[in-house]
Amino acid sequence: MAFLVRFWGTRGSIPTPGRATYRYGGNTSCVEIRNGESLFICDGGTGLRELGVDLIKRSSAPISAHLLFSHMHWDHIQGFPFFAPAYRPQNRFCIYGTHPGDTRFHSLLSGQMRSAYFPVDFSELNAHVDATDLGPDGARDIEGVIVRCFEQKHPGLSYAYSLEKDGLKVVYATDNEIDLTLTDPTQPVREPNAPRLIPGKFIEFCRNADLLIADGQYTDAEYLKCTGWGHARATTVVDLAVQAGVRQVAIYHHDPMQSDRDVEAKIEVCRQRAARFGSPLFVFAAREGIELKVN
Amino acid sequence: MAASNDGGDELGALTAENEIPVLPVQVITRPYMLQQIRGPGSPTVHNLELETMIVGRADDAEIRIGSTALSRRHMRLERYQGGYRALDLDSSNGVYLNEVRVFSAVLRDGDTLQLGNAVFLFHEGK
Repeated sequence: MAFLVRFWGTRGSIPTPGRATYRYGGNTSCVEIRNGESLFICDGGTGLRELGVDLIKRSSAPISAHLLFSHMHWDHIQGFPFFAPAYRPQNRFCIYGTHPGDTRFHSLLSGQMRSAYFPVDFSELNAHVDATDLGPDGARDIEGVIVRCFEQKHPGLSYAYSLEKDGLKVVYATDNEIDLTLTDPTQPVREPNAPRLIPGKFIEFCRNADLLIADGQYTDAEYLKCTGWGHARATTVVDLAVQAGVRQVAIYHHDPMQSDRDVEAKIEVCRQRAARFGSPLFVFAAREGIELKVN
Repeated sequence: MAASNDGGDELGALTAENEIPVLPVQVITRPYMLQQIRGPGSPTVHNLELETMIVGRADDAEIRIGSTALSRRHMRLERYQGGYRALDLDSSNGVYLNEVRVFSAVLRDGDTLQLGNAVFLFHEGK
């Protein structure tokens, strides 16, 4: 059965409304992934608010969803207090930790709703919002979809998730500075056109993904000013995707300083890089409001 | 600006000589449009004025394209958040938004939509 993947927020770091970001969107990280009746939500940035509105419009039936958070930085959780389905008693949400007994994400989400930060306390949410986890190997069968996590390079750590079913695979991997994990992190400056060697474990995690959604926040020039901030060169994401045999990659978590034109220029450079490697990889910019059918 | 009786001395009374002329404002509106730039029937422009419209080769499609590269009911355009969005109706050859195959998409001014051998430009109204 196909995965339906819809982008509700594609911007990194902070919301950026306005004309300059009209096409690709200004809401922060949030991706809806559906497989049949199963609903997964990757991150709860400001895009989550609109997803909540849309879910309520779609049907009056109870909403059940599995929430997978990359980490708890603001741009990945700010939408949660405004997620209207969480205020309705018939709905149920599971928030997944990455190892047995891990309830960090659940407790940190509730922490951002303390009165000093937000007028409505987490305990006042009427929906069932449960803490659970992915199990001992960071992998779990959730309604027939195999979900796995992978620890990434980011200040305070972050996690990628893969979702697999019926031979189809979608990987959500944001806020990951893979450039710092390269076998030779100085190589991209010395030899910008040479293939960059990505750690084998992460390549295996992304292997043969039908869709990879990956943090490609920076252009090569931007990255040099932002090294250590936890985000990747978009061009390095191309190398990851090529080496992992990925079918299509959505460059995600666009820098807040990038206009629509800047995003398009970034993607063009990525496409040229994939073409130079002779790869059939399709590269595109994650854009708010588009939905893909992965089949 | 209306002249005030009690403040008239300070502000100065409006007279025919100092009254600021107001030019008539013409509000120009333009409908949302789908401009076909390639494929059978092009070039042509379709005004988008209905809540939903079908694009395809079916006789009853609101925007009919005479090409076997399109499914009978290929794509639906529907009002969404004050604009339009496009939905692939499980067509054989898909809907490509700026070269990306999409299942659905909220459309923005200047977007290119390709359905089979027909290519359209989407123009937002105002």
